[in-house]
Amino acid sequence: MNRSVIEIENLSFAYEDQPVLEKVNLAVEEKDFLAIIGPNGGGKSTLLKLILGLLPIQQGSIKVLGEPPKKSLDKIGYVPQNTNINTDFPIKVIEVVLIGHVGSKRPLFGYSKDEIACAMGALAQVGMEQFAHGKIGSLSGGQRQRVMIARALCAHPRILILDEPTASIDVKGQKEIYDLLKVLNEHITVIVVSHDISVILEYANKVAHVNKQLSFHDISDKKSIFHTHGNNEHFCEIELLQMLGAENCNTCDHESNAVWRESK
Amino acid sequence: MIEALQFSFIQHALIAGILVSLAAGIIGSLIVVNRMVFLAGGIAHTSYGGIGLAIFFGLPIFLGASLFAIGAALLIAALTLKKRHRMDTFIGLIWAVGMAIGVIFVDLTPGYNVDLMSYLFGSILAVSTQDLYFMSALLIVILFVVVFWYRDILAVSYDSEYAQLRGINVRFFYTLILILSALTVVIAIKVVGLILVIAMLTIPVYIAEKLSHSLFSMMFLSGLIATFFTLMGLWFSYTYNLTSGASIILVSAASLGIFLLLYRGK
Repeated sequence: MNRSVIEIENLSFAYEDQPVLEKVNLAVEEKDFLAIIGPNGGGKSTLLKLILGLLPIQQGSIKVLGEPPKKSLDKIGYVPQNTNINTDFPIKVIEVVLIGHVGSKRPLFGYSKDEIACAMGALAQVGMEQFAHGKIGSLSGGQRQRVMIARALCAHPRILILDEPTASIDVKGQKEIYDLLKVLNEHITVIVVSHDISVILEYANKVAHVNKQLSFHDISDKKSIFHTHGNNEHFCEIELLQMLGAENCNTCDHESNAVWRESK
Repeated sequence: MIEALQFSFIQHALIAGILVSLAAGIIGSLIVVNRMVFLAGGIAHTSYGGIGLAIFFGLPIFLGASLFAIGAALLIAALTLKKRHRMDTFIGLIWAVGMAIGVIFVDLTPGYNVDLMSYLFGSILAVSTQDLYFMSALLIVILFVVVFWYRDILAVSYDSEYAQLRGINVRFFYTLILILSALTVVIAIKVVGLILVIAMLTIPVYIAEKLSHSLFSMMFLSGLIATFFTLMGLWFSYTYNLTSGASIILVSAASLGIFLLLYRGK
């Protein structure tokens, strides 16, 4: 039995009077590959920010590895949504990765040898070590995304959270990113927010659909049932929607399941 | 030019020019990468309020301007962290109110006929020894802060949300950068004046940004480029009997034009 790394109970959140999340429950187990899907403005990013402790909890509770979010920051690696900001910024790839180190045990000036070695190791993990001394702005979107993953890995996280990791990357780059995540998933829990349902579901074993409420699906045993099309190994989207919306889906909570179908 | 070097006011002008250029290069880099150029402009103009108050109460100009500029920086920092989307409105407001306070207090000062132009466009030939001490002290503080907290400042500047996640006190460093900007603006007023200070904080930085691979090299290079422009501008100003601040800015702008032409050719 795997133990839960993230436990969310009865979580509600509102921006001023606008409710964004209502009574959300979620349990993420160790080495899960969880996909969080849902419409724009449905609360996906808000949920992430709450897990990361960037927003205060209003109602309900979140436990990350048994602790409140702010206390377990060093256990979470985070890759933010937009990595194309600040591309003019004069910063080397290695320096971006070094930002990932947590504040403690640091030298008086600059970076220690251990930190640099660790950052190089993280870059090697994502296959970007040869770019270490290049300028971040000179990389492609996919390469930059890898660097951001390396930055998140720098602190040796137990959970890796990515917000729309492939939003601005071409199809080939997307597959490479997901293949990389799959390898990383052998050791750490991965949570990905994505619009790209058909791709993400090939890699994920759990799906959470967020649109104010959250409906949760364990698809690890279902993947083999559905056949794939052509060489792309994509799921047929109709089958997917049937699967996620099916009334006889025994892993789904029926009440929230109804909401999922209404929201389509 | 060589014979002019024996005058102490020319020596002071050169030393002040170098000190201010180095400070402006370093802080200008931070202002540009943090997209705070408009904020710095606001602080520069607001600090005239401090100049007016200092004249009225008979305090040293640097002291009045510095305190007032720091006050403006803290106010802007507090507002930015709360109402980011209305920043432009607030800065515009603070900008105008600060200048108005300055003008009114100069009016109220009995028998004092202040030369507003010298604050708007600089008066580098009137730098005192005391001014030089103040400038040197500020440059040392800036160097200390930038070297000691380089990685935090880099993290906050590059990606403040991520820096916060890594446990860095983003508010503290944001406010620190604004306060150092305010103080740099105050010393730069002496050299180029508060209207032109923004050009001094941005033109060398813009060139250095294109040539740099790291924030550190950008700050270093900006400082050198700013120093070069200041010395060139002073030479022009002396040779052709032109206003020094405006000469420095036009030399910078012309050099930027040439640089962009050459750089595009590559």
